[in-house]
Amino acid sequence: MTHYRVLALAAVLALAMLPWVLARHQLSLLTDLLIFGLFALSLDLIMGYTGMVSFGHAAYFGLGAYGSALVLIHFGQPIPVALLAGALLAGVIAAPVGWFSTRATGIYFAMLTLAFAQLLYTVAYKWRDLTGGSDGIAGVPKTALFWGGPSLASPRAFYFVVAAAVVLSLVLCRALTRSPFGRALQAVRENERRFIALGRDPRPFKVVVFVIAAVFAGLAGALFAPFRGFASPEVMFWVLSGQGLMMVITGGIGTLVGPIVGAMVFILVQEILSSYTEHWMIFTGAIFVLMVVFLPGGLVGTARRLVSRA
Amino acid sequence: MALIVEQLLNALALAGLLFLVSAGLSLVFGILRVVNFAHGVFYMLGAYLGFTVVALTGWFWPALLIVPPVVGLVGALLESTTLRFIYRRLPIYQLLLTFGLALILEESIRVLYGPTAKGVDPPPLLQGAIPLGDIVYPRYRLFLVVLGLVVGAAVWLFLKRTRTGLVIRAVAQNAEMADCLGAGVARVRTLVFGAACALAGLGGVAAAPMTTAYLGMGIGVIVDAFVVVVIGGLGSIPGSMAGSLIVGAAQTWGAFYLPETAMVIMYAVMGAILIFRPWGLFGEEE
Repeated sequence: MTHYRVLALAAVLALAMLPWVLARHQLSLLTDLLIFGLFALSLDLIMGYTGMVSFGHAAYFGLGAYGSALVLIHFGQPIPVALLAGALLAGVIAAPVGWFSTRATGIYFAMLTLAFAQLLYTVAYKWRDLTGGSDGIAGVPKTALFWGGPSLASPRAFYFVVAAAVVLSLVLCRALTRSPFGRALQAVRENERRFIALGRDPRPFKVVVFVIAAVFAGLAGALFAPFRGFASPEVMFWVLSGQGLMMVITGGIGTLVGPIVGAMVFILVQEILSSYTEHWMIFTGAIFVLMVVFLPGGLVGTARRLVSRA
Repeated sequence: MALIVEQLLNALALAGLLFLVSAGLSLVFGILRVVNFAHGVFYMLGAYLGFTVVALTGWFWPALLIVPPVVGLVGALLESTTLRFIYRRLPIYQLLLTFGLALILEESIRVLYGPTAKGVDPPPLLQGAIPLGDIVYPRYRLFLVVLGLVVGAAVWLFLKRTRTGLVIRAVAQNAEMADCLGAGVARVRTLVFGAACALAGLGGVAAAPMTTAYLGMGIGVIVDAFVVVVIGGLGSIPGSMAGSLIVGAAQTWGAFYLPETAMVIMYAVMGAILIFRPWGLFGEEE
């Protein structure tokens, strides 16, 4: 396991050094990659570790974005308060949704989460007084680190907030998956009937992990709003939920680091292809089909298998 | 009263279209255990090919006959070159593979036909409106009601009364056992996938005179069709019929009485049904 530690250390060092090497637009792209990496990571908690495929995860990203945008615009609180507000809002809404949705399993669970996500999307779209409707909320400020503390308005300062949040989330999620609670989740994924036969009820575990995943997705959204300066209904649309699934699969389901890598590769490939051809969707689609057929473990899963075989 | 009849017919016409799309989606799930995200794109392909045939021949009816088999062939070809290899994997992989196929097909259609919508004229026989008691109703929408009913009955009879239908139902019930008994499961899967795509293509041709053929119509219809299939129960043809009627009614009346929240109503109905019947109206517990 030691070479994983070396890799992790190298990754953290690289994250710390990169802002001094990269150009301004590159740093902005990297911040974007990290935010969506966190979103994909949160989805992996329910998808990879519990075997529940949610088709409405974007809703919690969006709730986080709206929560933090509203706190920043109306109350001018420091960034951490806004992050907390966004993550909490996502978690609070996810609790009843998770409770209802986990009554079903498999594709029905996916469809229920989609239905609730579309409901939330419509609320964001129609509640003009609060959310600004289809225009969304613009001009979300990057406020200070704490009351009277340094401003985070510079791209580099905000990048460090994002990087810290992502690294911390990864560490927390890793600890979670290795805790007794996390082991129970994996038991549910492997064989739910047997889990029940052992005298445990899987429902509470599913609801709790659904809420935890929503909280991390909300955190990603809460970072997104001040970073881009806006929150709009698009960030709650089901397309983002679908892309989240693609990011997780690209990186490697059930690996935590994988989805972050997957999100980065997914966005970078789109970025690069779209600069060469306007029909980049054909190539994205083809790459995707080939990946699913030939690399079932995703990038990280396949890499791990190769390393352990060598 | 006239208004109620008119809204009822509108709901039935929409349900007819929805059924053509959702029946195939449901069949593919029932037999292949695959949630086919690309299904809507085959519907779109049907609409565009319908436009081409009408433009070439000047007639609508040949399009209705030629296009579905062509779309079905494309579907069968894609199934046997990609999906066939990953049936043993988790269902999510198949969903994502079809997501990739959908991207490729959608963008290919954009390359071939360009970004503007293509209008298709209905055949002279179905143009205009006819009086029905107090109201005057468009003929083409009545045609959609009839088409939905006829295709629904045909699919139902095919599955229940023919030998091939029997084999298909056997594969749906227990693929491994059917394979041992010599059913040729791989061939059945390709056949069903192709037939489902042909149904979607038929839906596309039928929809084109009403909605035109436009990019994005596949994604739009697939979400509605998912809702239909989930309400009715995955893999059930009567379920698709019931689901189409419910969604058609929810959308028609929703758009009329509560235009602001029409979309919510469909999802609210689905949520309510799933809370009481988590496997849909005609579905069986997995």
